Amino acid sequence: MKINISQPQHVYRTNKGLLQILHIDGWLLLGILILLATSVAIVYSASGGDEAVTIRQLIRIAFAFALMLVFAQIPPHIIYMFTPWLFLIGILMLLGVLLFGEVGKGAQRWLDIGPVKFQPSELMKLVLPITVAWLFAHSRFPPSMRRLIVGASLIGFTASLIVVQPDLGTSLLIAMSGLFVLFFAGLPWKIILASITATVLSAPVAWHFMHGYQKQRVMTFLNPESDPLGSGYHIIQSKIAIGSGGLDGKGFMGSTQAHLDFLPESTTDFIFSVFSEEFGLMGVLLLLTLYSLVIARGLYIASQAQDNFTRLMAASLTMTLFVYIFVNIGMVSGLLPVVGLPLPLISYGGSSLVTLMISFGILMSIHTHKKLLTD
Amino acid sequence: MTEHLEFNSDSETFQKKRQFRFRLYIALLFVLLLFSFLVSRMVQLQWIEYDRYQGLAEGNRISIETLSPTRGKIYDRNHHLLADNQPVYTLQFIREKMDNIGSMQKTVIKILNDVSPEKIHNFFTEFKLKNRSKSYTLPFSLSEEQAAQFSVVSHKYPGATLTARLKRTYPYGSTGVHALGYVGRINAKDLSKLDEKAYRGTDIIGKSGIERFYESTLHGTPGIQQIETNARGRVLRNLETLPAKAGQDIQLTLDIELQEFAESLLENKRGGIVAIDPRNGEILAFVSMPTFDPNLFVDGIDQSSYNRLLNNPDRPLINRVINGQYPPGSTIKPFVALGAIENDFITPTKKIYDPGYLLYKKHRYRDWKRSGHGWMDMNDAIEQSCDTYFYKLSLDMGIDAIHDAMAPFGFGQKTGVDIHGESSGILPSQAWKMANKGKPWYRGETIIASIGQGYNLATPLQLAKATAILANRGQIITPHLLRSSHPENLQQIEIKNIKNWEKVILGMKNVMHGSRGTARRYAAKLPFKMAGKTGTAQVYSLNSGSYDADSIREKLRDHSLFIGFAPVDNPKIAVAIIVENVGSGSETAAPLAVRLISKYLETQLQNTEK
Repeated sequence: MKINISQPQHVYRTNKGLLQILHIDGWLLLGILILLATSVAIVYSASGGDEAVTIRQLIRIAFAFALMLVFAQIPPHIIYMFTPWLFLIGILMLLGVLLFGEVGKGAQRWLDIGPVKFQPSELMKLVLPITVAWLFAHSRFPPSMRRLIVGASLIGFTASLIVVQPDLGTSLLIAMSGLFVLFFAGLPWKIILASITATVLSAPVAWHFMHGYQKQRVMTFLNPESDPLGSGYHIIQSKIAIGSGGLDGKGFMGSTQAHLDFLPESTTDFIFSVFSEEFGLMGVLLLLTLYSLVIARGLYIASQAQDNFTRLMAASLTMTLFVYIFVNIGMVSGLLPVVGLPLPLISYGGSSLVTLMISFGILMSIHTHKKLLTD
Repeated sequence: MTEHLEFNSDSETFQKKRQFRFRLYIALLFVLLLFSFLVSRMVQLQWIEYDRYQGLAEGNRISIETLSPTRGKIYDRNHHLLADNQPVYTLQFIREKMDNIGSMQKTVIKILNDVSPEKIHNFFTEFKLKNRSKSYTLPFSLSEEQAAQFSVVSHKYPGATLTARLKRTYPYGSTGVHALGYVGRINAKDLSKLDEKAYRGTDIIGKSGIERFYESTLHGTPGIQQIETNARGRVLRNLETLPAKAGQDIQLTLDIELQEFAESLLENKRGGIVAIDPRNGEILAFVSMPTFDPNLFVDGIDQSSYNRLLNNPDRPLINRVINGQYPPGSTIKPFVALGAIENDFITPTKKIYDPGYLLYKKHRYRDWKRSGHGWMDMNDAIEQSCDTYFYKLSLDMGIDAIHDAMAPFGFGQKTGVDIHGESSGILPSQAWKMANKGKPWYRGETIIASIGQGYNLATPLQLAKATAILANRGQIITPHLLRSSHPENLQQIEIKNIKNWEKVILGMKNVMHGSRGTARRYAAKLPFKMAGKTGTAQVYSLNSGSYDADSIREKLRDHSLFIGFAPVDNPKIAVAIIVENVGSGSETAAPLAVRLISKYLETQLQNTEK
């Protein structure tokens, strides 16, 4: 594939500014920057004005931002070329975790490679949807049954490697990102409806195979008041934080729930509760609008993508982002069980931020590396 | 990638794209639907039920605090307190509630006149950057007097609170530190291993010795207290308390008075002493010299004091009793002799002529006595520590027979003492050399191995254990420091001829009481009979980091060793002593052992008379 940038024939490239040269999508960038600025402010508040924590978050943001820029420069066909290898490496690392992984808080999720310690499952959040998109790059619409079965097995195999770590939450989310590709590749509606029905019916069977702490989480979710000082404590305190924020919130640095230590994990998984306590319903509506715009832009990029591979990749990465936002907010507001997932772009912490920013880099790359033949 | 360029002229591709876009719309719809679901949830919580949650947040006054358990105390065998918990005072600060940090800092510097102002300044500099609403503890404790001074002015400083807590103290200071160990602040490495729940509210953990080995017994279980606070977090009253369960007290087998006496014997020297009650394996004295003060470590030792200990050429931090591996020298001769008569390599009465050396493959292996001992039987050879006798005997036995004779006494294996990190020493054999050096065994090496040189290495504790087993006539004990009432089920080294025990022990008795015994000078007036064996370990390698000429010469000098037990017929104490770099065993170690054993037996006698 040859790209001749110097010819301003493409409809999006009539005007070659700095953003085009850097392969950056301006709208996406704007949304991300506002969200990251919110992150710094709310991490500062949730940590009780801890400057060291805030500076660490800034450094992580700078690092992740740089990674986004790097990935925006890589043309999608290069990613396509390396996809099978990335998948192979990802699977080997997951096996590595099972064999040599470090046990943290009862589950083997971390792999120690020299100075770096990271979770291969975090990498898989990107690699699995890309791999499934690769698989369906030349498929018909709707795809053949054989291809669908191969795709579903890839997803099932990857998810099962993470389930045994054990990390049910992450494995479900990763499976979801792969299933989105199947959906966009044209999975027949009959099959979609049938599997939803089957999932609902098999819930009691899944219950039987869950670990104790997973059952506990589900039980707490269904009735948090049953154990107000034990595992239901988090949800109750989080709901109090959100609810007491009211319409206009208690103001920046005004979260009593976080500052008096009632709220657990206030800078990470439960940061949304601090946000809603301080900025109220107005703030929440603004934040959700901002997220919706970023998602809409991602779906728009998918709609403008030129080939099947980039199309599927863009759509599924965007939908994965949506799922993370929905699950985190649903969890802290008591709609979903607690799974231990950070709020995208806002929570304190590095590894999920890195994955997200890479996926934004890929989205930008898809949108800015176009063939000159227009549609 | 050229192969899947897609042209819009292709109608199937166009169809495909349309269908894909349709699915994108569905997805967008799905997103908006679920987001409005979230919005309605937020409306419910923040608008409709606002009053309820606002009330709950206002009344959110119940917080849970951890009560840390009191650490178990440690006593010696005579109920002397070795590790205690003393109240000390500390200061906690919450930045949010303080109005003048600068004047607070000045006051603290003035009251804590025993801490350098710089360190206090550093604490406050860091404190100003930390979480505003959390409490931070000044890492220096206040004496009772300083605490009183502070409480007089405390009303001027909101946000600072004075609390009393218990601090681990070791009343005997450095005495017995290598057995007792010490506690220190929990660090990242400890954190990865321990159960977080059990250590809530605790910031110390056993770092070495008994404090570490019996950590789970001493630690206890934390309790929980529900506290009602006002909206700003001030404590109003306690609601429900689940009290902490204190750690268990433990009693050691150590006799702290004997320990003090034994340490005084090695004053200004380097070395180790172990005294064991051979009847049950109870360790009476556990000396590694020089020592250090464990109290330094409790609140975290400062860098310069730690460096001083670490770089001290006498290496006080090393536990010589379990980690000092020394060539055992002639102290192994009784064990070799027993193996030889047991397996019929020689009879006790058979005599061997010693001209002062053994010639083997054109090499002269010299006896310590240049002029030679003349005709020696086994008894004479042990009594006078004749090297040539054992050189010749070892050539008949071979290294593996020597290994097999000594292994049951615990040489080359960990003793199983209740302290972590014990070294296992080396008991060489053909298989050992092949596995560890990758070379076959040479017979010349057997000759030096027979007098405890060459590859042989043993810790003072291993020597004491072996001596106790010999004193027991083969009953195997495991040396230990925890006093327990359960009698152990002791195993026995089976030998063909029970009388052989007495033959070897007679040789050792003659070391002390015979007319030519190597230690006869020191045992002349003893009111009891004892058995012993002297030893001298050659030091041929220089491996310390010191370059001082005098000290190099000193560090090349031989180690002096002694093992022994008493009374011979009814042993109550077995000892092993190693004194580093002082010369021959009969000059330094032997008289120390005699004094230690006499002291112990005299006290025992007095106690029974009472």
